[in-house]
Amino acid sequence: MPVLAKRENETNQLQQEEAVSPWREGWKSFKKNKVALVGLGIVLFFMIIAVFAPLLAPYGINEQELSIRNNPPSPEHWFGTDDFGRDIFSRVLYGARISLWVGLVSVSGSVIVGCFLGIIAGYYGRWIDTVISRIFDIMLAFPSILLAIAVVAVLGPSLQNALIAIAIINIPNFGRLIRSKVLSVKQEEYIMAARAVGMSDGRILFHHVLPNSLAPIIVQATLAIATAIIEAAALGFLGMGAQPPQAEWGKMLADSRQYIIQAPWTVLFPGIAIMLTVLGFNLMGDGLRDALDPKMKN
Amino acid sequence: MKRNSSLFVSILVVLTLLLTACSGGNKEKAGDKSETTEPKAGGTLIYGRGADSIGLDPINITDGESIRVTHNIFETLFVYDDKLELQPKLAESHKVSEDGLTWTLTLKKGVKFQDGTDFNADAVVFNFERWMDPANPYHKGDFPYYPFLYGGFKGDPNHKIASVKAVDESTVEFTLTEKTAPFLSYLAIPMFGIASPDAIKKYGDKFYENPVGTGPFKFDSWSRNDKVVLKKNENYYVDGQPYLDEMIFRVIPDNSSRLTALQSGEVDIIDGLNPDDADTIKANSQLSLIKRPSFNTGFMVFNTQMAPFDNVKVRQAINMAINKKELIDAFYNGYAEVAKNPFPSSLWGYNDAIEDYKYDVEAAKKLLAEAGFPDGFKTELWTMSNPRPYLPQPLKIAEAMQANLKAIGIDAEIKTYEWATYLQKTGEGEHPMALYGWTGVMADPDNFLFPNLSNTNIEKPASNRAFYDNEEFTNLLQQARVTFDQDERIKLYKQAQEIFHQDAPWVTIGHTTPPMGLGGYVQGFNAHPMENDNFAEVYLTN
Repeated sequence: MPVLAKRENETNQLQQEEAVSPWREGWKSFKKNKVALVGLGIVLFFMIIAVFAPLLAPYGINEQELSIRNNPPSPEHWFGTDDFGRDIFSRVLYGARISLWVGLVSVSGSVIVGCFLGIIAGYYGRWIDTVISRIFDIMLAFPSILLAIAVVAVLGPSLQNALIAIAIINIPNFGRLIRSKVLSVKQEEYIMAARAVGMSDGRILFHHVLPNSLAPIIVQATLAIATAIIEAAALGFLGMGAQPPQAEWGKMLADSRQYIIQAPWTVLFPGIAIMLTVLGFNLMGDGLRDALDPKMKN
Repeated sequence: MKRNSSLFVSILVVLTLLLTACSGGNKEKAGDKSETTEPKAGGTLIYGRGADSIGLDPINITDGESIRVTHNIFETLFVYDDKLELQPKLAESHKVSEDGLTWTLTLKKGVKFQDGTDFNADAVVFNFERWMDPANPYHKGDFPYYPFLYGGFKGDPNHKIASVKAVDESTVEFTLTEKTAPFLSYLAIPMFGIASPDAIKKYGDKFYENPVGTGPFKFDSWSRNDKVVLKKNENYYVDGQPYLDEMIFRVIPDNSSRLTALQSGEVDIIDGLNPDDADTIKANSQLSLIKRPSFNTGFMVFNTQMAPFDNVKVRQAINMAINKKELIDAFYNGYAEVAKNPFPSSLWGYNDAIEDYKYDVEAAKKLLAEAGFPDGFKTELWTMSNPRPYLPQPLKIAEAMQANLKAIGIDAEIKTYEWATYLQKTGEGEHPMALYGWTGVMADPDNFLFPNLSNTNIEKPASNRAFYDNEEFTNLLQQARVTFDQDERIKLYKQAQEIFHQDAPWVTIGHTTPPMGLGGYVQGFNAHPMENDNFAEVYLTN
């Protein structure tokens, strides 16, 4: 009996190891990828900044002091001051909150909606697939930023609506991705087996199809966050995203671009912040792709 | 971080040194250029501006970009010179009857329209008939300024003109239905440029593209959103003038590109300069900077019919909370003066005895608490998205005011609309607080006060965007309209300004002196406070 028990235990362990191993393996190869680690570091760095911004920032985001407007970097104001005499360093720190928030939330939104529509389209096929896929095609036919502008124009300019707009324009990317994945997973034997033993569609979809399609979604989501941050900045730049006095990086750029000659620091630091976060997410995304894509394995 | 900042400082030092090395002495002239060289005939002057004209028939337009052009093609019976003094132009002299109702104008002789026909009393009558009579076959369009000044069109109960008659070749007689003190000022408004009757008959409703007047330049061509070309009127009645052979008004929408065009010599004169770019022109020895004398007011209106702004204490508290001086220093780069009255000090009737609300956060908080809002409240601050002459950077001003309001506990969300929507929505009174402004078209306080503050203009769509309803105030304005004695009028307007100050329907912000840039070789240009620039006396020395 004890022998049997031990054996069962061993098989369990073996099964478990098999179940997690692609992820663990992925992490292993991710760890080996120096560039990807740098990306992860950057992302973590900005996340920490975002979380602790109120503690780190020496000034409030809207503390105006017009007498010191457009002052260059100094010991009191590390990144200088903008045209309202506000501390750019504090605003850049708070900007991390907005940008990461927009990136994470909007992409989560598009992942959820996109996956839902994509799974339905891929799994059920036929006319449902046709309708959903054509809608995706129509959305993809527009340049994404133009579509975002149209959405914001309808909803009215605000950060929240910019976030919704960005979520909407990214839906077809995820939808198409998961649809194609579902199409191939659907043909696998274990799905057929599940169907044969009478498992419900919902259970098959969410317990078998979805987990097996997740890797490319994670990669795509990481890269999409980078794009979402740029799109939020672009909308902010156009005055269609964050509203004053919110410290959004794109808006900071737009507000200060007329001072680019007299006070370059007003645009330089928000610009660097955008560049770094986007770079961080892109590096991390590339690393994840290398790690999770079975085709890329050595 | 330390390394970063020291790197910056060094880059900055290098840049500053470079800039100082390039600059060749500052020149800034207020209003006009006083060099006395002999005027030289010939050449083409290109004027760079931000937007195209809407039309070139002066009576059917209200925008500055159209007037800028038509004012050089057409002339009015009277005109305001650049010191804002009323001068006869196509008229020579005037007489007014004892009862103040009959005005007799003697016209200049020997003046011809650009199409060769004669300017005479019949032409003046023809123009007035066209403007005032909706049944006139040539009355095509809105004629917006006419009813605004004369109380309606012919047949309307409040129409002020009973008749316009040609007594002889060069005498016109106007009979009014009520005493109208500023009547000659009305005649000086550039919309009332006298047009050639022959051309109106010939072109009909296409006259706005084929304008013919008596002015120093005649219309040549117009390519939409690009340029309007005017040629010298060879038969102009002033000997030798105009000096220029050709005038081109070119559209360059972006402020920075327009500046670049001036720097590269592509255009000779520009307006709509970013206040912060004025220094760039000052630093360039080839260019000169002039300030257009102020004739506008930038302000914020309260919707005085909407709570909590129906409470005068709230309005006064906000007046104390806005740091105007700092706003002007920061966002006008010095090209404005702080406003305490609804019209600029260059205009007669200005009440300098009024003491502006002092910037005082504590007093403002106290007053707000007295009004019943010790913790402030939430509201909206509206702004137009585009720069206006009186508000060169409306968004920035709104943002700075937002911080000022926050200091006394008022949470104001900024709402932005583009200009046409903005005018419409504020006219309907949808705003709690809104930035706005006014550029005068005639040198009479009436033109600033009546449209913006009289309670006869609060019917929607309203031009009184504060929906300010004070019977006593409006009565003073009405009384001033029918008073001929100038001293008496000044007294009435000063009194009106006191009431305005007490009631605080606006936060007056500033009167701008918009900077313009021109090539050093452009001479004889006088920036007109009302933007009615006349180029007859402008010449080039290059």
